[in-house]
Amino acid sequence: MTTEARGAQTIDPLDLRNLIEMMPTPAVCALPDGSVEFVNREWQEYTGCPTEQPNLWVWQTTIHPDDAAKFIDGLTAALAGGKPFQTEARIRRADGQYLWFLIRKVLAVAPTGARESSLRTLITCEDIDERKEAEAKHEQGEGLLQAFFENSPNLISVKDRQSRYLYANKQFKKAFNVFGEVKGKTDGELFSAEQAAAFQAVDRQVLQTGLLMRFEDVALYEDGPHTRIVQKFPLFSAEGEICAIGGAVTDITDRKREESALRYSEENYRLVVETAPDAVISIDERGAILFANPATVRIFGYDPTELIGKPLTILMPEFLRKLHEKGFSRYLATGQRHINWQGTELTALRKNGQEFPVEISFGELSRDGHKVFTGFIRDISERKQAQQALQMTQMELARVSRLTTMGELAASIAHEVNQPLTAVTNNSSACLRLLAADNLKPEVLHRALEEIVADGNRASAVVARIRGFIKKEPLEKNKLDMNDVIQEVLALADRELYENRVRLERQLTKALPLVLADRVQMQQVLLNLIMNGIEAMIPVTDNARSLWVESRVDESGDILVAVRDSGTGLGSAADRVFTPFFTTKANGMGMGLSISRSLVENHGGRLWAMPNSPIGAVFSFTLPVSAGSPA
Amino acid sequence: MTTASIVFVVDDDPSVRSSLKFLLSTVGLQVESFDSADTFLHKKLPDAPSCLVLDVRLPGLSGIDIQRELAARNIRIPTIFLTGHGDIPMSVRAMKAGAVEFLTKPFRDQDLLDAVRIALERDNRRREQEKEVTDIQRRFDSLTAREQQVIAMLVSGMLNKQIASELGTAESTVKVQRSRAMEKMQAQSLVDLAKMIEKLKDPAEKAS
Repeated sequence: MTTEARGAQTIDPLDLRNLIEMMPTPAVCALPDGSVEFVNREWQEYTGCPTEQPNLWVWQTTIHPDDAAKFIDGLTAALAGGKPFQTEARIRRADGQYLWFLIRKVLAVAPTGARESSLRTLITCEDIDERKEAEAKHEQGEGLLQAFFENSPNLISVKDRQSRYLYANKQFKKAFNVFGEVKGKTDGELFSAEQAAAFQAVDRQVLQTGLLMRFEDVALYEDGPHTRIVQKFPLFSAEGEICAIGGAVTDITDRKREESALRYSEENYRLVVETAPDAVISIDERGAILFANPATVRIFGYDPTELIGKPLTILMPEFLRKLHEKGFSRYLATGQRHINWQGTELTALRKNGQEFPVEISFGELSRDGHKVFTGFIRDISERKQAQQALQMTQMELARVSRLTTMGELAASIAHEVNQPLTAVTNNSSACLRLLAADNLKPEVLHRALEEIVADGNRASAVVARIRGFIKKEPLEKNKLDMNDVIQEVLALADRELYENRVRLERQLTKALPLVLADRVQMQQVLLNLIMNGIEAMIPVTDNARSLWVESRVDESGDILVAVRDSGTGLGSAADRVFTPFFTTKANGMGMGLSISRSLVENHGGRLWAMPNSPIGAVFSFTLPVSAGSPA
Repeated sequence: MTTASIVFVVDDDPSVRSSLKFLLSTVGLQVESFDSADTFLHKKLPDAPSCLVLDVRLPGLSGIDIQRELAARNIRIPTIFLTGHGDIPMSVRAMKAGAVEFLTKPFRDQDLLDAVRIALERDNRRREQEKEVTDIQRRFDSLTAREQQVIAMLVSGMLNKQIASELGTAESTVKVQRSRAMEKMQAQSLVDLAKMIEKLKDPAEKAS
C-alpha cells in the first residue's frame, strides 16, 4: 500500500457518493487502477451515458482520442504513485461535440466498512472550453504576429521601460550576432558600451517625449557598419502609460551603396567624356549629331553646340561621305558592319577644311527603341607624323650608309688605281720628253718600260681584288614562291601606296612554280621597281594613279614578274635607266635599276623596261624555275 | 731657272716617287724624295730655291698637316698637292693655306712641270725679298739709337726743326745725324729710306 493509502482519510462510502453527486461539475469516482466506479449526474447529463459499473472504458469512450492515451497514462501513473494530477482534455458531450475540461484528481479517500477497502479517488472535470478557445485564438494571433516579425527583413525589437528586451526578431539577432534568448537582457549586456549608450539615448528620448522618432544612422553590425532608417516608438498600456519601446530598423546600406555607385559612375562617365582628349560624338539613326564633347573644339575646330543636329558627314572629307552613308544605311538595314568598329583609321575633316588622320572606335546603344551610336575619335596626326619621320629616318639612314659605303669604296678604288696610273703616265711622259729632246738612252727607256709594266699589273691586281671583294657577298638561295615575295613587298610598300593614293591591282597567277633565289635580293629588286613606279606617278594629278603587279609563267617557262605604272613613262631616258649613276630623280643615286639588273642577272634572269600603254612604264624581270619545282 | 733649285717630293708610293723623280729630272730639276711627312719634316732644308710636291693622302700626318706644320715653323715653301681623287673641300683648304696648285692623279706632265716652275719662281722671289730685308735690317741695326730715332721721325714726315725741338737738340745736330744715317742705310733719297723702313716693318704690324 502506498503512503497515501496509509495516511488517507477515511470516508463512509455513502458520503463519498453524496459528495460526488453534489459536485457542480461532472465528477467521477475512480478506482486505484484508474477505472471508473461511478459518475455523478452532471457527468451523466454531459456525456449522456450512465455509468454504474467500474469501467476503464469510460475514459476511452468519452475522452477525445487525441487526448485519451496521454490522459490515461498520466492518471494511472498518478494513482499508482499517489501523486497529484491534473490535465486538460476534451470530453465528448452527449451531442458528440468535444469540449475542453480541466480534469483534476481532487481527493483520495478510503471508504470505511466497504467490501473494497482500496482507495477511491475523486476526479472532477471543470469546463474550460471558453478559456481554451480564447487562448487558442490569442495564440493564433500572436503566432501570426510572431511569424510576421520573425520573417521581416527589418530589425524589430521591444523593450520595457527599464530598457530590458522583451522581444527581438531573428533579423535583429542575426545583424548583431546575438544568440539565444534576449528577453530580460539590456543593451549593455548585448552590445559594446558605445553602441548600448547610443541605443539607450534614443530610448530615453522616446520615453520623455512619448513620440515616434525616425532617423537615419550608422550602426556597427557583425559584418561592418550599416546605414539604417530607425524608427523608435512608445507602446502604450490600456491605461495610456508607456509600457514599452518598440524599434523597427530598415537596413538601407545596399540601397545607399547602389545609389552612390550609380551617382559616382554617372559623374565619372561625365567627367571622362568632358575631359577626354578624344572627341566623343553620338549620332542618331539619321546620322545627325546628338552629342559632342568639348574635345571637338581642339580636334575638329567645332564647338560642341555647333555640331548638335548637324550630319556626321560634315566631319568627313568629300570622298568618304558617300561611303559612310552607304555603309551606315546598310548597317541599319542588315546589321552588317562594313568596317571594324574598334580602332579604324580614317581621314577626317577639320572646320578649316584641313584633312587629318583619325582613329575611330564606336559602339551602339538602343534608347527608347532607337539606336544611338557613340564614337571616340582620336587625332593621330602626330602619331602618323612620328611614324613617317621614323620611316624617313630609317630610309635616309639606309641610304646614307649605302652611300657612305659606296663613297668609301669609290675613294679607295680611285686611290688604289690612281697610284699605278700616275706612275705609268709620269714614266711615259718622261720618256716622251727625253725622246723629243733626242736624249732617251736605251737603259733609261728599259727601266721606265719595266716600271710601266709593273704598275700596269698592279692596277689590274687592284681591280681584281675589288671584284673579288664585291663577289664575296653571301647569296642565300632558297626555293621561293614569287607570289609570297610580292605580298611581302606590297606589305612594305603599303604606306607609300596609301599616302600617294595609288590604286594597287594584283594580277597574280596562282600556284606559281618555285624559283631558287635569295629572298632579300628579290625583295630589294621588287621594292625598287614598285617605289620607282610610285615615284613616277607623283607628278600625275589629272589621271588615276594605278600600279599593277603581275606574276605569271612566260613563254619560255620562266617566272615573270611585271610592275606596271600609269606614271610619266620613260621617254627619252628609256635606254639609259639601267646605266649606273644615271638618275631622273632629284636625290636619286642612279644605282637602283643597275643594281637590280645585276641582282636579277646573278640569278640567271633578265630585267628590262618597256613603255606601258597608254601611259607609264612596265618593268619586268624573269627568273628560271627551280629544278625540283613542278612546272 | 736657277740650277741650284730643289724639288722635294713626299709620297708613300715608291713607284709614284720614282716616276716623279724621273719626270722632274727630264727638265733638269734636282729632286729629293721622302716616303712620309715625318721624314720630310726632320730634313734640314737647304738655303736654295725649293718647292714641295705633296701627296694629300699619306700614312700618319697628311699633306694638309705638313702644310700647317711648315706654316707654324714659319717655313714658307711653295707647295703643290697631289691627290688620288678630286676632293673639293680639301683642295679649297689647301689653296687657302697657300698651295700653288692642286693636281688630281693621274695628271698631265706639263701641268706638274708648270706648277713646279711657278712654285720655284715664287720661292726665288721670296728668297730675294727676304735677303733684301735682311740687308736693310743689318744696316738699320748698325745705326746708333739716336740715329734710329731721327730716321723714324723723318719717315713719319717731320722737318729737321721739328725733330730738333722734339729731341731738345740743335737743328744742326739733327742735320748731321740725318746725313750719317742716310749714308749708313745706303739710301739715295728720303723716299728710298722710307721704302726701306717700310720693308722692315713686321708683316703683322703692317696689317694693323
